[in-house]
Amino acid sequence: MRKANTTGIHLGIDVGSVSTNLVALGEDEEVLASVYLRTQGQPIAAVQRGLIELEAQLEDVPLEVGSVGTTGSARYLSGVIVGADIVKNEITAHAVAASFVVPEVRTVLEIGGQDSKVILLKQGVVVDFAMNTVCAAGTGSFLDHQAARLGIPIEDFGSHALKSSSACQIAGRCSVFAESDMIHKQQMGYRVEDIIYGLCQALVRNYLNNLAKGKEIVAPVVFQGGVAANAGMKRSFEDALKTEVIVPKHYHVMGAIGAALLAKDSIGNGETKFKGFGASSIDYRTSSFNCKGCANNCEIVKIEVEGTVLARWGGRCGKWEVQEVEEEAAV
Amino acid sequence: MSITVGIPQALLYYKYYPLWEGFLGGLGLEVVTSPATNRRILTAGVEAADNEICLPVKVFYGHVLSLKEKVDLLFIPRVVSVEEDAYTCPKFLGLPDMIRAVGDMPEVLDPIFNFRLGSRRVSRDVYSFAKRFTKHPAKVWRAWRHGVDEQRRYVAKLESGWTPVEVLSGKAPPEAKGDMTIGVVGHPYNIHDEYVSMNLVKRLRKMGARVVTSDMLPHRVVEAEANRLPKKLFWTYEKEIVGSAFYWMRSGTVDGMIYMLSFACGPDSLIQVLLEQEAKREGAPALMPLVIDEHSGEAGLVTRVEAFVDMLAWRLN
Repeated sequence: MRKANTTGIHLGIDVGSVSTNLVALGEDEEVLASVYLRTQGQPIAAVQRGLIELEAQLEDVPLEVGSVGTTGSARYLSGVIVGADIVKNEITAHAVAASFVVPEVRTVLEIGGQDSKVILLKQGVVVDFAMNTVCAAGTGSFLDHQAARLGIPIEDFGSHALKSSSACQIAGRCSVFAESDMIHKQQMGYRVEDIIYGLCQALVRNYLNNLAKGKEIVAPVVFQGGVAANAGMKRSFEDALKTEVIVPKHYHVMGAIGAALLAKDSIGNGETKFKGFGASSIDYRTSSFNCKGCANNCEIVKIEVEGTVLARWGGRCGKWEVQEVEEEAAV
Repeated sequence: MSITVGIPQALLYYKYYPLWEGFLGGLGLEVVTSPATNRRILTAGVEAADNEICLPVKVFYGHVLSLKEKVDLLFIPRVVSVEEDAYTCPKFLGLPDMIRAVGDMPEVLDPIFNFRLGSRRVSRDVYSFAKRFTKHPAKVWRAWRHGVDEQRRYVAKLESGWTPVEVLSGKAPPEAKGDMTIGVVGHPYNIHDEYVSMNLVKRLRKMGARVVTSDMLPHRVVEAEANRLPKKLFWTYEKEIVGSAFYWMRSGTVDGMIYMLSFACGPDSLIQVLLEQEAKREGAPALMPLVIDEHSGEAGLVTRVEAFVDMLAWRLN
């Protein structure tokens, strides 16, 4: 294998609750390939499928992998699977990607499958951020659910919203109430496109009043994450903020782009830990058990390959975390 | 055999345990504390307590339940006020009654501490509480002095940079290292309960940050800073939170601040607004509120804390 250096390609993998995204950046940080998959509750399988698709797209690229970074809620798990050089939280990854695409960006609106974030930057540096807490109202999962209920493919949801001439008033504070409100409006005979656009406005209102409460939203505003595909949401944000909202070309894989950029930065002249695209054919097994060591009864998750434990985590204390023990022993 | 008295390792334990232990020990009682919060304690507390109450009080219930079979008496003082012109949280006033209402409890000792009425009144209340254990006023006085001395040593240790858990367990803090310093503000029973805070302090240290907490600042500093508010706060513990945060916002000694608050805490929700307003001033260090409740998963907390540390590191570079 060729010695890795920054002249290779750089992979970014973002495994979220709903989607798993992979990108390959070239030497000039251009997007060579990108994959967007549904996680479907199986992050390992999703990463493996993603690697196969990414490798296929890269068939004609004669470069080796120089570095790989993971992000998203399954960042530690996917980091173990692929051999990540850097594992980063998704807030940092999204901020890095946004300021890469729009260097003067001041506000990043990111809405994904089950979480949403607002990130404020000044001169390319994050100065404040917020992420939704226990409530997932207004995220992609809810829109998905509503699209399915109305029998409209999620891809067409936004274009339906744009057809609306007068939006319905929908309560956006809570998904459950929003749904009953929408049903009520349907039963009263309102047009579907007006209901959909009303829903978009309600979600934007909820986002700005809760998540972004007290935060000063300054242009340029970049809107990314899976929900940015929804033109109705973009229009609603523009109406509410009275400013242009930029949806970047690769809006749906920005987390992965951020992870790839961070990986490239971190690797320097070092050698990547990437396990190769062959990681897609390895049989990873995960299992969990309750530790009986104390009254916490932590659920410990174990990831194994052919009887060898790759990683263990989930404990309040550090005693099961083999990965760290091995790393320390190696130093 | 001596009489055992239980002190739950929750709420004001983190503030006054040395005083209470010294005092009760001086009266000849054997003090028993509950173990550090764990999942069983939290679950038991959540089940026993009223659903609307804040997380730390639910945790308190859990600790009381874990002590219940092990002690003759429970020590749950009614801490009304610890200084002039200010009160503690209203829930602390009703704590002994709330625990009695659970039913089937050991006898609850609930001496009143109400410093708002002056220290003479406090002495009188202390004597009237202690007289069932000794007939000698001098012994009560000695026991109280002993407690006060222990408390003074405790506070001095906190001000030298130890956390309450470190002082009470006698384990020195690890050597401070790292380029960034993070101030953690909030109620000590949230920050220093390692189960509730999901090890926030240790986690930050592991990520390479120096950590300072509200209880490490001298009282007079905190008091002076809190007095910058146009209207005096009448809750002592919230005044400490505001005072420490205000101090760090101006002192330039921290790179960022994390405000840990519990979801159903009324005072916290008001203080949060005050702090956020102050944090908007030019040049103030970054402030991140971190809300905890019994449903909090570790993942959400870890993501936020990691992003916060990244943000500070990014700014420092």
